[in-house]
Amino acid sequence: MYKSLLAGLLLGTCTTLLHAEETSRHTSTMWDYYHQRLLDNQEFVFDDRVQVNTPPFAEDARQVPLEIDARALPGTTRKIMLWAELNPIPQIMVVTPGEQLENLIAVRIRVEQATPIRAAFLQDDGLWHVGTGHIEAAGGGCTAPSVIRAEEGWEKHVGEIFGARHLRDNSSFLRMRISHPMDNGLSGGIPEYFVDHAQLRDESGRVLADFELFASVSENPTLTLALKGEQQARLWARDNNGNEFNARF
Amino acid sequence: MLRLVCGAILLGYCLMAQAAYDLQPKLVADNTWVLEGSTGNFSKENGGNIVNIAFIVTDTQVILIDSGPSFAYGRELAEAIRQITDKPVGTILLTHHHPDHMLGSQAFPHARVAALASTAQLMQEEGDAMAENMYRMVGDRMRGTEVVMPDSILEPGLLELDDYRLQLLQLHGHTNADLAIFDPQTGVLFAGDLVFYQRAVSTAHTPGIAVWLQDLDTLAALPWTVIVPGHGPVAGNDAPFQQMRDYLGWLDQLLTTAAARGDDMNRVMRSPVPERFAGISLAGYELIRTVSHLYPAYEQAYWQSLSE
Ligand SMILES: [Zn+2]
Repeated sequence: MYKSLLAGLLLGTCTTLLHAEETSRHTSTMWDYYHQRLLDNQEFVFDDRVQVNTPPFAEDARQVPLEIDARALPGTTRKIMLWAELNPIPQIMVVTPGEQLENLIAVRIRVEQATPIRAAFLQDDGLWHVGTGHIEAAGGGCTAPSVIRAEEGWEKHVGEIFGARHLRDNSSFLRMRISHPMDNGLSGGIPEYFVDHAQLRDESGRVLADFELFASVSENPTLTLALKGEQQARLWARDNNGNEFNARF
Repeated sequence: MLRLVCGAILLGYCLMAQAAYDLQPKLVADNTWVLEGSTGNFSKENGGNIVNIAFIVTDTQVILIDSGPSFAYGRELAEAIRQITDKPVGTILLTHHHPDHMLGSQAFPHARVAALASTAQLMQEEGDAMAENMYRMVGDRMRGTEVVMPDSILEPGLLELDDYRLQLLQLHGHTNADLAIFDPQTGVLFAGDLVFYQRAVSTAHTPGIAVWLQDLDTLAALPWTVIVPGHGPVAGNDAPFQQMRDYLGWLDQLLTTAAARGDDMNRVMRSPVPERFAGISLAGYELIRTVSHLYPAYEQAYWQSLSE
């Protein structure tokens, strides 16, 4: 116990020494808090191979696109965590990937104010590899009223899934939008109502990747995921009211 | 003594504040003047003056086309008009509900403020939020600015103001509630924000690029001799139309291709702007906004239902 802690400290120090300049863009007032709360104080490195791409400013704070690309990371990924440090609901998703999932995820989120975005990949070297992005926002995305709730008859469309599969670069890119208000409990007295769990599965029902989703994900969640090679896939999703939704790519 | 100094400082401040926009009306046709704003973005430095405001001096009155981004701008505009004519500003025609075009009306308390019914409705719904947003971006020079709601509703067709005739067109491409004004006496076309020239279009409220392209055909078919765009330099040839069609066509193609290729938003936002648009101010910035607003519809158009 003591030994691993010491190793962690040493490693941390080395990383700081070696990459002082590169790590400066990773520093934030909230890092220590989330390191403890979400990563359980486990060993980590800031790693620019984990790219967190965001637009330079959030034109629509209710739909801010994130693109996480960690395909350059060597080894096998055991866990992926995404969060927005200064959001009222910081967590975005927790992914348990299978062998077939590429380390590429795009998702649109709500942002309440300017915030660092973190993507942490737990690799088989036992380290969390952490990438950082920044969103500039005037804000208000989390407390803004729902757009789809204003549409007549929206309830009938909840859970409808539109999308496409694209074969490119030896991967199957799966793009999708799930019709859902993703109520986060912060707007208009409407209780939480959101898709909190999804899985990519193969034709036989075997799980290819598991996604825990949070209400910081925008309404009508829009996702891009990628599988290795030419893959058929199905999506299973469930909201916190127990409704289940199925799609086939 | 102290009071005198303070007075002098205050006076200096007031003079500075009053001359802040440095408005220079330019004669573009008989009795027709344009105040050309910059092709930049809203900032504290420009006080929101990124817009073209025009006025026509008739036998009986001054007809103002849009009123500017702030009360302070409106006051300076009133002064600039007084330097040219002593006729009163009797009518303000608002081309659409965007804040840079309609927030100067307070400076003309005796003028009729006229707009399309759909524009008045958008002003009712979004006007205050837009004004607030302007305070955030422009700051101090917005002080005291409030939305003045239209008191007259315009119908498309011929508008007669005393003996002066204007042809009004109700179009949709920029905000779904866009007024274009053609002056048959002079051949001047006041295109509002249906035409941007040398400045990237703002697409935040467009119902779609196809609609906008149709409106451009409608406008181009008028017997105009001078085009006053909503943003960018006044032109005496069809260069603004050509550039608009080329640019909107590029955007449409870019978004269609990206959706078919399966790109997510960030990738589309990073698309390079073609060399031929190098002269268009803020193209990269507006591209990010355009992708944010329009790309979901392009995705939806390409996608199929996957539900089972
Ligand atoms: Zn406009």
